[in-house]
Amino acid sequence: MQNDISQTTIRIAQILINELKLDDVTPETFDPDLDLVDEVGVDSMDLATVALVLRDEYGIRIDEDDYPKLTTVRIIAEYITNKLRSDD
Amino acid sequence: MNSSVTGKKEYKFSEIIADPVIKERFEKVRKYFFLRESTYDMTHRCNVRCEGCYYFAGEKQFAEENLDENSWQTLLEAEKERGITFVVLAGAEPSLVPQLCEVCYRTIPLGAIATNGLIHIPLHIDYKIHISVWGNDQTSLEIRKAKDMLARQIVNYQDDPRAIFVYTFTPVNIDQAREVTALLAQNGHKITFNMFSAPEGYQGHLRHDPDTLARTRQTMTELLLQYPETVVYSHYNIVAHTDPKGLHALYSCSYPRRNPLSDIGLGRSFRQYRTDLQWDREAACCVPDTDCDDCRHYAAGSAVVTARMYRHASDPESFKAWLDYVDTYLAVWVKDYTKGQNLCDRFIAPPSAEA
Repeated sequence: MQNDISQTTIRIAQILINELKLDDVTPETFDPDLDLVDEVGVDSMDLATVALVLRDEYGIRIDEDDYPKLTTVRIIAEYITNKLRSDD
Repeated sequence: MNSSVTGKKEYKFSEIIADPVIKERFEKVRKYFFLRESTYDMTHRCNVRCEGCYYFAGEKQFAEENLDENSWQTLLEAEKERGITFVVLAGAEPSLVPQLCEVCYRTIPLGAIATNGLIHIPLHIDYKIHISVWGNDQTSLEIRKAKDMLARQIVNYQDDPRAIFVYTFTPVNIDQAREVTALLAQNGHKITFNMFSAPEGYQGHLRHDPDTLARTRQTMTELLLQYPETVVYSHYNIVAHTDPKGLHALYSCSYPRRNPLSDIGLGRSFRQYRTDLQWDREAACCVPDTDCDDCRHYAAGSAVVTARMYRHASDPESFKAWLDYVDTYLAVWVKDYTKGQNLCDRFIAPPSAEA
């Protein structure tokens, strides 16, 4: 499971970098514990865009009410992993 | 509810934006996702007194007026520091304090001013200027106690690229929108639409009912089709603002007054400052003291509908409708933003929160 979350973390970082055009960082070097709002500058519209891409990628729905909980890449990875597990 | 139950195809977001027309419009509006607004009451004075004016409802009208330019400068610098990129200057009447508007403009150069248009705001304050219209001049005289309002507004803002007229539909001026729009079209002005939204406790004759909402919808649709160069609106704007349910019931209001979330979005960033430069999270709203259940206000919709991108990314038509709404919002509020042709020319039902 640890490996799954690690791979998911890298993939989410890649999606964030692509969607937000964060040119000066790579998925491998993206700190998964950075606060996306305070330290990366992500806002609710950015997060909505990322949520739609994640919906495509993982086939899960991300509730709008959950946006405020998705504060770091690691937390998003855990959220997705839990969603996928609960859908099994 | 999945597609096997609804019989409706489920689209991936990537499928929706694979349409080059949708993709182009999405990329166009997406450049403006950086906008973070807050609003500011500039003065508690006004040169007209309109029935149903939200400013003179509630406690904010009694706030002390701060006319000190240095205090405003300090406030706006702090606002910029915390990430505010767009200001809405309102009032009572901001044109009475142009020196304060100028301070705001120098510090945060993107914004809009809501004015009754009777006093011209100097050109070097290069914000969008929203000029409020409540009907023809006879109705304005009755409701706003001011003579020849529209004629004076048109002259004051002739050939001014900042200006857009905001026609507020009330139950008593629905038909007059035709003559007002025709007159504005003749003079080369732009118009967008607002809905009267009752202040808390208001029981007067301007509150809409299902019949006046339906008549307003019909009139807006006629005008949108008849004056595509003049009317800055879309079919989805009409849907969102004339539904019997208000904006909060349809979309869940994202302003702090009705939104307990303080971690992200408007709940985190939005403040509504009174004339004493104080703000109160419990009251923070683009139209404070409005009866939230009756709120169909254009300014509220600009944020509330726009924030619900995820819900509208269910199928191409819904997403086009949402893009039209955002494109309209940007054209109304952001100077030099040019509205594109609407992508969706029919009424699309608002999505439910569970969609």
